[in-house]
Amino acid sequence: MATLCVIGLSHRTAPIDVREKMAVPSDQLDDTLRRLASLPGVPEVMVISTCNRVEIYAAIERPDALELLRRTLIEGRALPESMRAHLYSHEGRAALRHLFRVSSSLDSMVIGESQILGQVKEAFTLAVEIGTVGALLQRCLPRAFQLAKRVRSETDIARSSASVASAAVDLAAQIFGELRGRSVLVVGAGKMGDLSARHLRAAGVEKLFVVNRTRARADELAARLEGTAHDWNDLDKLLGQVDIVLCSTGATEPVLRADRISRAMKVRRGRWLFLIDIAVPRDVEPEVGNIENVYLYDVDALDNVVRSNLEGRHKEGQKAEQMVEVEVDRFHAAERTQGVVPTIKALRARFHEIAVAEAERLVGRLESKSEKDRELVRHLAEAIANKLLHEPTTVLKREAAEADAAPLVDAVTRLYHLPEDDSQETGPRARVVPLHAVAELDESGKKR
Amino acid sequence: MPPLFPATIALYGVACALFFVHLFAPPSGLPVGQPEQRKDPTLAISRAARFALALAFASHAVDIGWLCTKGMHPVVNAKEAISFAAWLTCGAYLGVSWKSKIPALGVVLVPITLILDLAARLGPSPEARGAASLLAIVHITLASAGTALFAVAAGGAILYLVEEKSLKAHRTGRMLRRGPALETLDTLNRRCIALGFALFTVALVTGAAWLVQMPGGHGLWSPQYLVASAAWLLYAGLIGARIVVGLRGRRAAVLTVFGAVTAIGVLVIYFVRDVRGA
Repeated sequence: MATLCVIGLSHRTAPIDVREKMAVPSDQLDDTLRRLASLPGVPEVMVISTCNRVEIYAAIERPDALELLRRTLIEGRALPESMRAHLYSHEGRAALRHLFRVSSSLDSMVIGESQILGQVKEAFTLAVEIGTVGALLQRCLPRAFQLAKRVRSETDIARSSASVASAAVDLAAQIFGELRGRSVLVVGAGKMGDLSARHLRAAGVEKLFVVNRTRARADELAARLEGTAHDWNDLDKLLGQVDIVLCSTGATEPVLRADRISRAMKVRRGRWLFLIDIAVPRDVEPEVGNIENVYLYDVDALDNVVRSNLEGRHKEGQKAEQMVEVEVDRFHAAERTQGVVPTIKALRARFHEIAVAEAERLVGRLESKSEKDRELVRHLAEAIANKLLHEPTTVLKREAAEADAAPLVDAVTRLYHLPEDDSQETGPRARVVPLHAVAELDESGKKR
Repeated sequence: MPPLFPATIALYGVACALFFVHLFAPPSGLPVGQPEQRKDPTLAISRAARFALALAFASHAVDIGWLCTKGMHPVVNAKEAISFAAWLTCGAYLGVSWKSKIPALGVVLVPITLILDLAARLGPSPEARGAASLLAIVHITLASAGTALFAVAAGGAILYLVEEKSLKAHRTGRMLRRGPALETLDTLNRRCIALGFALFTVALVTGAAWLVQMPGGHGLWSPQYLVASAAWLLYAGLIGARIVVGLRGRRAAVLTVFGAVTAIGVLVIYFVRDVRGA
């Protein structure tokens, strides 16, 4: 009987240097999957390797399989034994909850980020292609993807921006609406300016100008961002034209003072100007923020926006955690119900076998030669069998969903001389595998 | 009392409640413009709010029509004119919503419509002024339509001022997230005032002709005409400043609110005068 388990490390348990050592390079993922799947008692396996986590999800059939996976992860890759201290593992219900939380981005460094779902999907697709996915992972992963989608659409978790650059884009959209066709002036050629400008470009900003005291660096940045480099002397002219100004110079004194911006605003005839100052020390005099129709956000202001957004995400995260719990319970109940399906099938087969035999016996004795009468007898037998089956089927399913149905299954099997269920198969070729083990393990992964 | 009045008020109330629910409902995490956004439950709330408002508008129209058949049309007293202006405000908002959906504006405008209609219907009933001339009908219809557009512009201006204050103070509240962009609100303001001003100008000219004809009145020196002229001058100044010096943003929003209050003041003067005469 297969149990879902997860073993790995993440940003919560390991610093970056440990995560780097543990990471599986993308060109080695195939071999790693094959090697892990060849371990005894590990019929199914998938590996997620990102900058923030390295995790193995597997179906295990033996209690020592988890230790085998752990050993393969450390010793098989000649990593120091000290790495074990950073590893965590979960089994059954706890592993399922972990998978749901990871896919829904509740375990991410920035809660609500969207990348992790794509990374889990990629890991699953690769495992399917290599052939290391069986019935257990095939049932768990699509549920995790559906839940992640629901968490994103039914909570506010991913709504607000979680980085300075994306907060700047959101604020620009709050001022101008559509950013398509807008223009941005990048003052200075700092790395942060580059990143924020890329975000604005991605949001649809059409024209991008770069000015820097050193023209060569302006040319270089403009080439990278597909913008136009201008001389420092063009700054005032450009301030009169653009919608957004992104400042990231290394100047020790403010580059944009209130009088300069006031002059620009006259040329602009009051058109809105959004100033993003991500330089430290600041490039824009704070008084500029008092000028009408000018919106000034420095690093602290942007950071406050991001922090308040992240607080909001954490609040929404609590709603999402509840959704995860409900989904784990639902999955658990569905799996338990799945466990009585072979018994129900056998019971139905037995009843119908008796009904058909008795109907045929009666049909042979009938005086009437009418085919209609014969069919009527067969239908009657089928209908009686179905009526008799209805109640036990319902009770078996209900018992399985709510409690341990094993005694009832045992009783039904003995009462009706049903064949013992030996159809439970795991591994990549299996189609229906009850997840009793998921239901039988508690939070800590121990058997109830 | 018109037959559909309770239904009209109930529908305005439902629309109003739905606009508020939309404001406080958790928004979708889906990026704007994605096809999946159709599944956003908050969009369904705003659609339901607009639908309820459209029903209220239709029901209100039936009431106005019914009252007209009884001789109680907007020209006969200020009560009916206020109800008519409230109906037109609702219509103007629905018209604006046809192209650009601004549910946050509903939060401002629908309660105003609801209060105006309630005040008009439940206030004291003055004597009817008797048969109305064509001039009076044209004047009151255009003045009400102009005032309705000024009210929509003022609703947008109030939203602008709230959002602008939040942005300047680096606060990203719910109103800011739910509200439209500042430039969208300013464009709405410019368009509503341009159209409203044109209608109001014709209303002022026809009003002047009507007042001059009216025996025993104060003519052009009547308080309502003077206040209407002040509103016209305010908006003329605003439009002029927009064209000449590019006035926009906060100052334009503040002037818009002042202008709308002045224009609605004309209806209030008529209403008070009617009540005193009753």
